[in-house]
Amino acid sequence: MAGVRSGLKSGFAAGIVNALIVLLGVHVLLGDVLAGWFSLPSPQPGAWLLLLAVAWWGGARALREQPEGWKNVSVVGLLAGLAHGLVMGVLVGVLASLTAEGADIRQVLAKVSPEAVDLLTFGLSPIVAALMMFGVMTLVGVVSALLANASTRYRWGESIAGVWQNALDRIAALPSVQSVRRFAHTRLIVYAVGLAILLVLPFFAGQYWNYTLGTVGLYVVLGLGLNIVVGMGGLLHLGYAAFFAIGGYTVAILTAPQFGIEWGFWVALPIGIILATLTGVLLSLPVLRMRGDYLAIVTLGFGEIIRILAKSDVLTDFTGGPRGVRAVAGPALFGIDISSEFHFMYLILLGIVLVALISSRLQNSRMGRAFMAMREDEDVAQTMGVYTLKYKVLAFAIGAAFAGLGGAIFASRNQFTGPEDYTLLVSINVLCLVIIGGMNSLPGVIVGSLVLKGLPEMLRELDDYRMLAFGALLIVMMILRPEGLWPSQRRAMELRESSE
Amino acid sequence: MDSVSRPKRAFRPSRLVRPLIGVVFLAFLAWRLYTVLVVQQAYGPDTWLRFVISGIILGGVYAVIALGYTLVYGVLFMINFAHGDVMMLGVFAGYFTLEAFKATELLNRSVGWSVVCVLIAFIVGMLVGMGVAVALERIAYRPLRKAPRLVPLISAIGASLFLENAAQLMFGTTRRKYANPDIIAHNTTGFNITVAGKDVMLTYTGVLTFVLSVLLMIGLFLLVKRTKMGKAMRAVAEDKEVAALMGIDVDRVISNTFAISGLLAGAAGVMWGLHMAIVYHYVGFLPGMKAFTAAVMGGIGNIPGAMLGGLALGVMESVAPAALGMPFQLKDVLAFCILILVLIFRPTGLLGEVLAEKKM
Repeated sequence: MAGVRSGLKSGFAAGIVNALIVLLGVHVLLGDVLAGWFSLPSPQPGAWLLLLAVAWWGGARALREQPEGWKNVSVVGLLAGLAHGLVMGVLVGVLASLTAEGADIRQVLAKVSPEAVDLLTFGLSPIVAALMMFGVMTLVGVVSALLANASTRYRWGESIAGVWQNALDRIAALPSVQSVRRFAHTRLIVYAVGLAILLVLPFFAGQYWNYTLGTVGLYVVLGLGLNIVVGMGGLLHLGYAAFFAIGGYTVAILTAPQFGIEWGFWVALPIGIILATLTGVLLSLPVLRMRGDYLAIVTLGFGEIIRILAKSDVLTDFTGGPRGVRAVAGPALFGIDISSEFHFMYLILLGIVLVALISSRLQNSRMGRAFMAMREDEDVAQTMGVYTLKYKVLAFAIGAAFAGLGGAIFASRNQFTGPEDYTLLVSINVLCLVIIGGMNSLPGVIVGSLVLKGLPEMLRELDDYRMLAFGALLIVMMILRPEGLWPSQRRAMELRESSE
Repeated sequence: MDSVSRPKRAFRPSRLVRPLIGVVFLAFLAWRLYTVLVVQQAYGPDTWLRFVISGIILGGVYAVIALGYTLVYGVLFMINFAHGDVMMLGVFAGYFTLEAFKATELLNRSVGWSVVCVLIAFIVGMLVGMGVAVALERIAYRPLRKAPRLVPLISAIGASLFLENAAQLMFGTTRRKYANPDIIAHNTTGFNITVAGKDVMLTYTGVLTFVLSVLLMIGLFLLVKRTKMGKAMRAVAEDKEVAALMGIDVDRVISNTFAISGLLAGAAGVMWGLHMAIVYHYVGFLPGMKAFTAAVMGGIGNIPGAMLGGLALGVMESVAPAALGMPFQLKDVLAFCILILVLIFRPTGLLGEVLAEKKM
């Protein structure tokens, strides 16, 4: 009969998802969060809401092969429900009986506490609880299949992505936005107003938010730099944190008392930027002829080399080894010592404005166009007279300079720098924010770093689960909206064409 | 005489980069080797043997993981960033299986039981690896088949983060010790080889690891070259559309490829656990990175290349710090330096890519 296979398959799939939810303790988390929001007496409703929602999805998904007639539909739904109930029933039975015997499951599965199991069993005996789970999941499978059959199919993924695109299109079609697009002086006014808001903002944000926004700002600087390498030049760079590290370490070594040099920040900053640029040039020379994934792995290796060297005993006299450099000096400007988060916001803003200005001027310049030609097709670009080797070096150098600037500000803001500030995760974060925001789109970089660095701060309640959610978000984002949240016009067009 | 003079080629400074790097590198190598081997003579032959043995064992594991990268790259042209994490889950699967046998006191009942337990641990690890890899392909990569190449890469990074953090949440952050059966207890059981009056131990776990990795490589090679499935895989690697026209179910072949890469990663995970005796959520990161390096070094998409690259990387990683007289902390730096050097002089890897021009 049509749909037996898909019924069983989606039942099992949903069952495994729910089992993972239980093992990860996501149901406890959601239960607690919902209980907090709606001041419920217990986390039970929230937890069960999640489990039932997944079961519901499994039942509705079982109808993919579109069985005819309500009898067939209910059989397929029943199969999905049974499969789901089997997985969950066995899991609950095992967990409940182990807990009842007093075994501490947490030594093996860290998130399965007795309370978490209690949420599932309602305090019933293991066998009854397992049977209850089995029955509930089977029932949900049948009901959801029947209801899904009665309603038209709703494509969640596409509609969410569609809502976002619609909103963007509507905003873009507003007369005021159109006039901003068309007239340079209106654009200038908008920029001025935006800048004014940003200038006033630090007064109203507290220390904590200034710190968070400062981090977001630093990632904007980094993102704009990597955007030149990856977004414009199409050179996949996975070791960007190395340039960041060189900027940071240079400023740290030149200003911290532990090395006895103790120059000022403003002297160290240009040196840091120049050193980072030079490293960029040096790295680009051997990799000039590599393409795509070879480039990716070599740059990744380069990033790790810099980090391990900074951490190693060999260079301890110069980098402080694993303990890093302490008491990095803050800059002083017009007699004001820049040391608080509040003051650093302005420094970071200055950096962003500088870097954004360079980026936007670059985009339509001869060099920017050469970068983009290189990204689209290296061979064709070369045939058209773009000396790609030169432009590769330039792309690396400019990207590295921006990262050096970011690193210098970062180190002096933290008053500390150590090898763990420059892990692979930093490079990956920056790459992700460029792509999530939208490749080669300046507003995209800002949106991307707000999402990647700002959003997790707002999701404090998720604490342990933040990185988990982040990973899942990346996948979902790539499936639903690969062109990024705020794509550049050209890129969006390309992606839509290729998907048709 | 040829009257047509060839146009003078413009001087490009970039042409000098390669020979310059080569000369500097060779000079450095000669200097360090001379200092360490002739002047200092810091290590006896027994120590060198120890380095080589540990390098070969490590290289075997790298090679098995690298095969997974290379297979997936061969058919999809994407870096499966989450492959190391699939291996990590394999390590955990083997760990839990062995713990279960230990708790039921079957693990050390007799030699036969121990063998069966280890075998079952391998099977469970491989099945878990396979399941995760297939699920990964289905959820994170299949919807992105037609997207530009950066998109699946980001998705793979997301999957890697997800798996790593899921393992951390589920199993906690403690480092656990692998429960080896007594007959292959970690670091204490093995063959003794006497070299220059000193004993060098060749551990049983090391022998097991190496033999198994060689068997897996041979198995994979036969699978790809001799079976119908392997033929289909090669066809898909060559050209997906034409393969589909020839009646090959491309989706299924890609799914199978991920299944095989997952099996290999799972097996490598259990080997890693038995030999290195430690398991925690981050255990897959470095081997994954190194294995990818090995795959690139051998020429990505090239199966013998991955084997050669893995073994070469393993041996060089454990011998080079001593041979160059550098601290062992820097062995990862050396590994990456070797990679960069190999790619400078052979941009498509040691054995070259298969289907090089298709991938651009």
